[in-house]
Amino acid sequence: MKTFAESALSFISDRPDAQDRQRAWSAFEEAGLPTTSDEVWRYAPLKDLVIDSFNVSSAPATQENSPFASQLCERAGLVVRVVDGFCVDSGSAPSGVHVEVVENAISVSGASMQSRYESDTFAVLNNALAPATTVIKIDDGIDVERPIIVLNSTSGSSSFSSTQIKLGRSSSATVVEYFEGGADALVVPLSEYEIGDNASLQLITYQRLSSSAWHVARTTGFLHRDARLRQAVIGMGGHYNRSRNDAEMLGVGAENELRTTFLGSGGQVHDFRTHQFHKSARSRSTLLSKGAVADESRSVYTGLIEIEKGAKRTDARQTNHNLLLSAHAHADSVPNLDIRENDVMCAHASSVGPLNELQRWYLESRGVTRSDAERLMIQGFFYEMLTTLPHELAELVENDVAAALALVKVVAP
Amino acid sequence: MTSTLIIQGLRVEVAGKEVLKGFDLSMKSGEVHVIMGPNGSGKSTLAHAMSGRPGYKVLGGSVLLDGVELLNLSPTERARHGLFLAMQHPMEVPGVRPLDLLVAAGADPAHLRERMSAEAERVELRTDVLDRFVNVDLSGGERKRAEMVQLGILRPKFAMLDEIDSGLDVDALGAVARRLSSATTEWNCGVLAITHFRRLLQELTPTVIHVMSEGRVVATGGPELSEVLERDGYEPFRQAKSSII
Repeated sequence: MKTFAESALSFISDRPDAQDRQRAWSAFEEAGLPTTSDEVWRYAPLKDLVIDSFNVSSAPATQENSPFASQLCERAGLVVRVVDGFCVDSGSAPSGVHVEVVENAISVSGASMQSRYESDTFAVLNNALAPATTVIKIDDGIDVERPIIVLNSTSGSSSFSSTQIKLGRSSSATVVEYFEGGADALVVPLSEYEIGDNASLQLITYQRLSSSAWHVARTTGFLHRDARLRQAVIGMGGHYNRSRNDAEMLGVGAENELRTTFLGSGGQVHDFRTHQFHKSARSRSTLLSKGAVADESRSVYTGLIEIEKGAKRTDARQTNHNLLLSAHAHADSVPNLDIRENDVMCAHASSVGPLNELQRWYLESRGVTRSDAERLMIQGFFYEMLTTLPHELAELVENDVAAALALVKVVAP
Repeated sequence: MTSTLIIQGLRVEVAGKEVLKGFDLSMKSGEVHVIMGPNGSGKSTLAHAMSGRPGYKVLGGSVLLDGVELLNLSPTERARHGLFLAMQHPMEVPGVRPLDLLVAAGADPAHLRERMSAEAERVELRTDVLDRFVNVDLSGGERKRAEMVQLGILRPKFAMLDEIDSGLDVDALGAVARRLSSATTEWNCGVLAITHFRRLLQELTPTVIHVMSEGRVVATGGPELSEVLERDGYEPFRQAKSSII
């Protein structure tokens, strides 16, 4: 049985860009795995992370679609399949849309991947071990009518996927990044989104991994002039589910709406991190993070709004609500502001507590039982995240969320 | 079948203060009872306490619906026994759709969406509102019309309407009042409407009017009582009450 390092080095040596990967791997080895004494890893159950229980696959395993994935695909205009980090099927793209598999891609930011992510251990690991970057490009002025689905499944013991979605000027698209599988696996996806001038991306990240997976994800949106990124992140699976979702408002008038939500059950830890970085004037960000923790699960939300000097008339709002569904569950909320410009509008709010008693009573006063009322309200957290999805897609995801929720014990403390 | 709602000696405390001080009222299916009274007389407290709102503490008395003591039941069970409350400020419940609410409340799911649309049209509510989350981003008037949609689907034995006319324009008030009137004949619904405006009565003919002051009924009579109120206001009733004491 190979150690993780042995399998990683053997994978790296077979790749055409082995040298770059080797550098990233060395950087990873030098930094080592994080420890809970690092503030940003304080809440992670790192003592449960045994890196040698994972292996780096040299080829994708064969993988059947789950019934849900099949239904998703039926509603798609383009399906890109990624198995264990390898793009195995780039689908048949409609006119104006291109899918390429790129070795040694550079970051959308313009920097090399390694310099862009050098301070993030798991992203560095992704730089070393992602088989290639799947790049989905949408030409200027193209409105992609039907949703693009990126079907990401993990059947081996690790998966490092790298995805870039690039929208040209005045184009628009709806993209679903869906994650499944991952039993006892380490799943480390890295995604970047470039939204050109006046373009609009509607993005759903739906994470339905096994509850034994280690999921450490990072996404970054780069928004140009008057670009719009509406992103919803839904996290259900994972023993440890870490999701870092950043947006950089590079152009004047850029607009980011981020909604994140999760459901914690069993002994799960959900760790959500956001960074809305306003670099230009009149940019806007609206962030709504809502989550529920049941059983002995716990969650942490850490969000930073950063406003650069000169980003006048920026409007940034951040709201975090956490629901406690058992007396043994725990949620932390850490909103942060870093504002270097005076002429801005900025607001943040956070709360941790049980379900709203009056809303629950309202439902009960119609004849809804207490347990149904609570389930409807929690389900509602997720449904709120899906409001901008096309109807047929929203309905499908809602039903899937409802089925997952039906398995969770909800006890209002 | 005729149902009865009998409230006797109801005493309720809110935030440490006794607001209802022995409220009595009896009514039957198909009747329209109107409770009028000045602000602070306890009208809304009555409606909320009957529906078991958290924070409303019953100190004494009884509410019998067809002989069943509602005060011993949960809010859900009270509703399932046939009591419905249309609120003055119906709550927003983000993420929950009206259809899912009604199914969970026990409505027959067959053709439910179509039936909801038909109910919405009767109260001139845009049917796209039915696909939004419960009361979220609705105007005050839309919320009240949406409550009427729920009423029409759930078909309670008794409907309490808390200040149903506040925030409604004349057209909306007419639509809501007509819906309530027809409920009294369609399934013999008993209507208990709380208001401090007379204008509701121009559209909804009451069987009985009760005047409330300081937590209890101080006068009961026919529709002519509203004319007395219109002419003299509430003051004589208050004085009448204090002279009794």
